[in-house]
Amino acid sequence: MTGSPDRIHPAARMHADEFRAGRISRREFLTRATALGVTATAAYGLIGAARPALAQGATPEQGGTLRIQQEIIALKDPRLWDWTEIGNFGRTWLEYLIEYNRDGTFRGMLAESWEVNDDATEFVFRLRPNVTWSNGDAFTAEDVVHNFRRWSDASVEGNSMATRMGNLVDPDTSALREGAVTAEDDLTVRVVLPTPDITLIASLSDYPAAITHRSYGGGDIMEDPIGTGPYRPVSYEVGIRGVVERSETPWWGTDVYGGPYLDRIEYIDYGTDPAASLSAIEAGEVDMLYESVGEFIEIMDSLDLQKSEAITSNTLVIRTNQKAEVDGRTPYGEAAVRRALAMAVDNSVLLELGYSGLGTVAENHHVSPIHPEYAPVDRLPYDPDQARTILEEAGMGDYTHTLVSLDDGYQRDTCDAVAAQLRDAGINVERQILPGSTYWNDWLKFPFSATEWNGRPLGVQVLGLAYRSGVPWNESGYASDEFDDLLTQANGIADADTRSEVMAKIEKLMLQDGVIIQPYWRSTFRHSVPNLLGAEMHPAFEIHPYKLGFAS
Amino acid sequence: MGMFLLRRFAVMLATALCLTFVVFALTNLAPNLEKVAKTQGNTRMSDPEVDSWLANRGYGRSLPVKYGEWLGVLPGYVIEQPDGTVRGRCFGQADARPPDAPARCGVLQGDWGTSTVFREPVGAIIATRLALTGKLMFWVMVLMVPAALTIGVLAGMREGSRTDRALSSVSILSTATPEYVSGVILITVFASSAVGLRWFKGTATSAMENATLENFLLPVVTIALFGMGYIARMTRASMAEVMQEQYIRTARLKGVRFRNVVLKHALRNALIAPFTVIMLQIPWLLNGVVIVETLFNYKGFGWTLVQAASNNDIELLLGVSVVSVVVVLLTQLISDVGYVRLNPRISVT
Repeated sequence: MTGSPDRIHPAARMHADEFRAGRISRREFLTRATALGVTATAAYGLIGAARPALAQGATPEQGGTLRIQQEIIALKDPRLWDWTEIGNFGRTWLEYLIEYNRDGTFRGMLAESWEVNDDATEFVFRLRPNVTWSNGDAFTAEDVVHNFRRWSDASVEGNSMATRMGNLVDPDTSALREGAVTAEDDLTVRVVLPTPDITLIASLSDYPAAITHRSYGGGDIMEDPIGTGPYRPVSYEVGIRGVVERSETPWWGTDVYGGPYLDRIEYIDYGTDPAASLSAIEAGEVDMLYESVGEFIEIMDSLDLQKSEAITSNTLVIRTNQKAEVDGRTPYGEAAVRRALAMAVDNSVLLELGYSGLGTVAENHHVSPIHPEYAPVDRLPYDPDQARTILEEAGMGDYTHTLVSLDDGYQRDTCDAVAAQLRDAGINVERQILPGSTYWNDWLKFPFSATEWNGRPLGVQVLGLAYRSGVPWNESGYASDEFDDLLTQANGIADADTRSEVMAKIEKLMLQDGVIIQPYWRSTFRHSVPNLLGAEMHPAFEIHPYKLGFAS
Repeated sequence: MGMFLLRRFAVMLATALCLTFVVFALTNLAPNLEKVAKTQGNTRMSDPEVDSWLANRGYGRSLPVKYGEWLGVLPGYVIEQPDGTVRGRCFGQADARPPDAPARCGVLQGDWGTSTVFREPVGAIIATRLALTGKLMFWVMVLMVPAALTIGVLAGMREGSRTDRALSSVSILSTATPEYVSGVILITVFASSAVGLRWFKGTATSAMENATLENFLLPVVTIALFGMGYIARMTRASMAEVMQEQYIRTARLKGVRFRNVVLKHALRNALIAPFTVIMLQIPWLLNGVVIVETLFNYKGFGWTLVQAASNNDIELLLGVSVVSVVVVLLTQLISDVGYVRLNPRISVT
C-alpha cells in the first residue's frame, strides 16, 4: 500500500476498462470502484463521465417542516438496531463513516477517504477534519476506535455489528482482536484484518454502524444525544412519532455536500397497514412515505404525488428448514426434496401474482444481477411433473407441507401463489398466516416459511449472514463445508470479476442443494409531495436528512 | 346504600385481582416472554441469548414471586449482571444497589411499572391515552345520546306508523353494522379519492392535538352509529310501552295535545330503561374504540391495548386490565344507583 490519498486502486482502473468494454454496467462499476476507496467523483472520471449533480437544477430553500410517514420503533443501542426505521431516525444526529447512495456508490461521511490494500486485509481511514460533536468535543480517531470496540463485542446479546465485523472479533475473548484497529494519529485509523474481507466498507455504511461519542457506553441514546449530525432529537414516542430540529452546532457537511435545509422533521407512525399511509398522504397529513407497496402504488400514482423507484436486491426467500423436525422426521433433510419444491413453482408467475410484476425474476441463489460479483448460471427447469415424481420417490408423496408466512401484503400473496402452484403440481400444501408479533418469534424454526431479506451492496454479504453454517440468522438450517469454504475464498477476492468465478460455483451449489426458492428481486417505491427534493427511494430504505428540502 | 357501595367496591377489587393474575399468568408463558426478549433485545436473537436476556432481567423466576413483586407485597429482585453491575426492579441498572432504593415497588406503593414497548411509566401512558379516548368518547356521547333518544321517541310514540318502520329499519341497520365495516365504508365514501368527495380526513392522527370537524367526525360517527341503533331500539320499546299506559289514555281523553302528552307525561318514564342501556353501552363501546382507534390511527386507550397485547407488554397490559375492570364495574354501579333515583319502586337494599 502506498498510502497516498490520490492513489487509485489498480482494480478500479481494471473495472473502468471492463465498463468501457461493455462487460459491466455503470452501476456495477460505481459500486466496485467506490468500495475500493475511489471517490465517486474520481470513479465517474475514470469512465469519462461527469458526476450528476445531486439535486438536479434545483436547490431546496431553507426552512420548513417535513412530515414523514414511518414506523416509530423503540430506540436502543445503535449496534443492536434491527430496523432501518430506527436507523433513519438516528441518522439525524448520529452519522456514519461511509454513506451508501442510491446510485450504488459509497462516499465518505465522517471518513473523508479510505484506502484498501490489494488483498483487502488492510484498510486505512482518513477522518474528516473539523468535525465537532454537539457537546463541543472534536471528533477524532479515538471515537472511531471506541466504536470498533463496541461493534466487536460479541458478548452483547443481539449485537448485529459483531456478525458484520466478521474476523475482527476474537473468537476466544468475544471482543475486538488485540491491535486490529489502531489510531495512527488524531485523524487516521488503520484496520488490519487477519483474513481478507471485502465487505467491511459496506458494513460500515449499514444502519447499525452509527458512530457514537467516545463517552457512550450503551443505554438510552435519547438521554444525552451527542451527535455530529445536522439535527438534534426533540422527542420520541414509540408508535406515535419522533421529532428532530436543526442543531445549533454548525454542521461540517454544509460546505462539503450542502444542506441541511429543513428546520424540523417529524416522523409519524401510521401503523403497518398501507391503507393508513394512503389515507395520511391523501389527507395531506404527511409529505413523504417510507415506502409505497403493492396495489397502493397504482392508487398513489393517480394522486398528485411524485414517485421514485429504487432497483434493489431486496427479496423474499421461501425456504425449507433442513433441520426442522415434524412428527419425528426431518421432511426437508434431503436435497432432492428441496429441489423438487423449487422445480414445482415458476418464479415469473410468483412475481406477477405476488408482487404485481414490480421487479425482476430471480434464480433461487440469492445473488442479484446488481451485485458486482453476480455470475449467470443455469437455473433449475420449471417441471411440476418431475417434481411430483421426485417427491414420490423420496416417500414424500402424501406429505402435507405447511407454508407459513407473515400476514403482510406481498409476502402473503406470494406464498399463496407458491401454495397454489404446488397444489397444481399435485403436492399437498396448507397455508398458515401469522401476524408479525407471532411470526418473528419463531422465524428461524418454521419448517417451511418465507422471510423478507433486505439487500446488501455485495452478494457475499447476505450469503454470509444467512447461509454460512451455524450463523445466527441461518433460517434454512443449511450447513455445507463446501459452501463455507467457497464463501471464505470469495470474501478474500477484492476484484469482483475473479470473485464472480468463485461465485458461480457458490450459486450452482445453492441450486444443487435446493436451499431456497427465491422468486424475484423487488423494486421499491416511494411517493412524496411534488415539491419535495432529496426524498428519492433508496435501495436500503435510507433517508438522508441533510438532503431533504422543499423546492422554492 | 353504604353497605351496597362497599360490597360493590369489594367485588371490583376481587375482580381486578383475579383478572390481573390471569393476564399475568398468560403474559408470562414461555413463548410470550421470548417475544418480549426479541422485541426488546434484537428481533433475531438466538435461543441462548434469549435465555440469558430473560434471566438477567428477572423474568426467569417463578410466577407467584413475580406477581407478588408487581403487587408490591414481595421485595423487588436484585440480580447481578455478567458485566458486574446490578439490575433491580426498583432502581434499574447501577454499579451497586443504591442505598435509597425502596425494597418493594409495586402497585401497593403506587408504582405501576414501566412499559417495555413505550419505555415510559405505565401510569403516565394510561393517563395520556385514557384522556385521548375520553375526548373521543365525549364527542361520541354528545352525538349519540341525543340522536338515539330522538329517534327512539319519534319511533315509539306512534307504534307501527310509517315513521316507526323507517326509523326502526335505520336503527337495526346501523347497529347490525360493525365498526370495521362502517368505518371502512365511511372512509371510502367521504375521505378517499375513490369516490372523490374527500370532505373529511380518513385518519385522525392530527386530531390527538387539534381535533376539527374534518379530522375527527368520521371516527366519532363510526362509533356513534353502532351504539345509536341499539339505544334507539331500547328507547322505542320503552316509549311504546309507556304510550299504552292508562294514564296516557286519560291524558289524551282529557284533551291534552299529543305533543304535550309525549313531552310532559310519557318522556320521563320512558327514559328510565334507556339510561341503564346507555351506561351499560359505555364498556361495550370500548370494544369499538379498539377497532376505530386502530383504523383511524388515533392513539388512545384502545390503540394502547392493541400495542400492549401484540408486543406482550406485561405491565402495561396489567394496567389496562385494571382500568377496564374499573370502567365496567363503575358504569354498572352508576346505572344501578341512577335506576334507584329514577324509579322509586326499586331499592338496592
